[in-house]
Amino acid sequence: MQLVQLRKHLSPSFAMPFRHREVGGKVLVTSTEGDFLMLSKDEFAAFARGDVEKGSPLYGRLAERNFIRAEFDERRMIDRVRARKGFLSFGPNLHIMVVTLRCNETCVYCHASRADMTATQTDMSPDVADRTVDQIFTTTNPSITIEFQGGEPLVAFDTVKRVVARARERNKDAGKRLEFTMVSNLSLMDEEKLAWLVENKVQICTSVDGPQHLHDKQRKLVIRGEDGSAQAASAHAQAAKWIGRINKAYGEMGLDPTLYHVEALLTTTRDALPKWKEIVDTYVGLGCRALFLRPVDPFGFADKTAPRVEYPRREYMEFYRSAVDYMIQLNQQGVEILERFAAIFLTKILGGEDPNFLDVRSPCGAAIGQVAYNYDGKIFTCDEGRMLHEMGDDTFLIGEVAKAGDEGGDAAFRTRYRELMSHETVRALAIASNLDAQPDCVNCTYQPYCGVCPVHNHKTQGSIFGRMRESSLCAVHKGIQDYLFERIGTGGPDVLQVFQRWTTVRDRTHFLQTCAT
Amino acid sequence: MSEAPEVPADVLAVDVAERSVAMRVDAKAYPVDAIYGAAYIFLDRCWVLLDRPDGGHVRVTLAWKGDPAEGALHGAVDEFAEELVSCAWRAGLAKDTRALIEGATSKAHSGGEVGAGPSLDDLASYDFGGKALEDPLALAQSWEDKQKKETGPAPSNDKTEPSEPKEGA
Repeated sequence: MQLVQLRKHLSPSFAMPFRHREVGGKVLVTSTEGDFLMLSKDEFAAFARGDVEKGSPLYGRLAERNFIRAEFDERRMIDRVRARKGFLSFGPNLHIMVVTLRCNETCVYCHASRADMTATQTDMSPDVADRTVDQIFTTTNPSITIEFQGGEPLVAFDTVKRVVARARERNKDAGKRLEFTMVSNLSLMDEEKLAWLVENKVQICTSVDGPQHLHDKQRKLVIRGEDGSAQAASAHAQAAKWIGRINKAYGEMGLDPTLYHVEALLTTTRDALPKWKEIVDTYVGLGCRALFLRPVDPFGFADKTAPRVEYPRREYMEFYRSAVDYMIQLNQQGVEILERFAAIFLTKILGGEDPNFLDVRSPCGAAIGQVAYNYDGKIFTCDEGRMLHEMGDDTFLIGEVAKAGDEGGDAAFRTRYRELMSHETVRALAIASNLDAQPDCVNCTYQPYCGVCPVHNHKTQGSIFGRMRESSLCAVHKGIQDYLFERIGTGGPDVLQVFQRWTTVRDRTHFLQTCAT
Repeated sequence: MSEAPEVPADVLAVDVAERSVAMRVDAKAYPVDAIYGAAYIFLDRCWVLLDRPDGGHVRVTLAWKGDPAEGALHGAVDEFAEELVSCAWRAGLAKDTRALIEGATSKAHSGGEVGAGPSLDDLASYDFGGKALEDPLALAQSWEDKQKKETGPAPSNDKTEPSEPKEGA
């Protein structure tokens, strides 16, 4: 590009504000409202000089995307900004409930700092469960998703049932778009529990670390024999068995299998890096339609086991590129499998909308998009904040679920909601994750599509504001977007067609509780 | 000490040492935010010091955290100069278009919920003369319209008679 050489000819009045970056031999330019163009270096030089003839194809491309000041279309910008920031009009919709910290599996990277099966003091009491539901229903968001987490939620299945019943009852008056999700390792599933979950429309999500040998190496499952003795079992076999069984149950109900199936998540460890093909094949073999190639986070046990599970992020990006290249090939052969990170970014890049993935948005979803409720009633800005609490850091603790008080009714819960949403920590996180005001992010070409995690910054760099050049999260987000734009710029219509399909979001209306009432 | 001749003198005056490089930037030619932005990109590789050797200049010193690779110091000067020009240029564009951007974004955020209803611009071209929505209890009708129905047509000089909607009203 060599702007230094062009410096005396740069036009101060031709362009609207933009950011640029060299990607795959071209120059990517993005606008404030998130439009983009990939220009040749000569085209970019002409754009920089303001030397683009009106009526030329380049002028048309630039004007169409609102890059030319003389052609500025305010209506277009308003619509684009509104579509991207629509989530600001609501309150938290994702409510994570840790119904117990107990878990029957031991994972090498456990971010949640699970407790032993004997630690019944980490079970959520019925009173706290009821009050948590009442607290959740004070949200100003018309949609509520209650996500059961742990530990292993199937260990506290009675609490799950109690929460579902109370939430459905509360929703008769509230009339929200209510959904339930459970994140489970599935090893404690049985036909009775499954029948209840399916009947009550609770979505089920699990973890799959890849092929069996890798999964079982990282996730230790011990079961009790009939004589009470402890025996090692295959966590992968249990997960695979129940994924198939649950998907079959959905099929028997007449639900579209391309839309209704168990979602699974990968946590990428060092051992996973060379196994990108096996991992993708495992997911396809299990009937999964999506694979989320999440890097390991520095929370929970992963902080202590980092020497064993961590890796430089450039190695992760090699893994990511190989895996997604392969997934694109599979899609071109008719296999439907998408990568979740790519889908999130592509929805913003190609779709012009924000899918409201709370970890990759600006400002981030801490408290204003999600809230985490611990088994003891403590409330955190987000799941990551709750994970740090289990490591002895209460920075992101913002309160406790209210008690109805002498006057009864919901007043105490509404007051607590206002206290939570205006908490100084919540305000600080909104400021720290607003990319319009972050050093480096404000100059970054990917600013319209990206997001930062102040909790990650706090944990890894000692400041919620962070230094993005040294952030492993920034390296991943930037690396993935580099890859996506390279493929957009050079992949041709076949790749673009696959990417467009990955941005298509279909509502899973069956799981809406309002349909049942 | 040596200079980096590939970077024009009107951008930077450069002193390259063994493990560090110091660059003097004309503070009148380049806004301080642009200097901050250009210096920031080295945080992962260098210790970065900004100071003012005199009133008219900002000095940016980059000291390598480890051993610099061959050519890294001169490469850093090129990279800094490129980023400095880029930041300064875009800062100028942003300053000149601030009113446009702020106007558009404030309208986007004040428009309420996405898809909640038509904007004022939409209403400006809305045809109010078309068929009314189904309203069997006449809840949406004005008192005057209801009275007209019950008492028959009002006299033509009745001041309460609604006027015909004007096109584009």
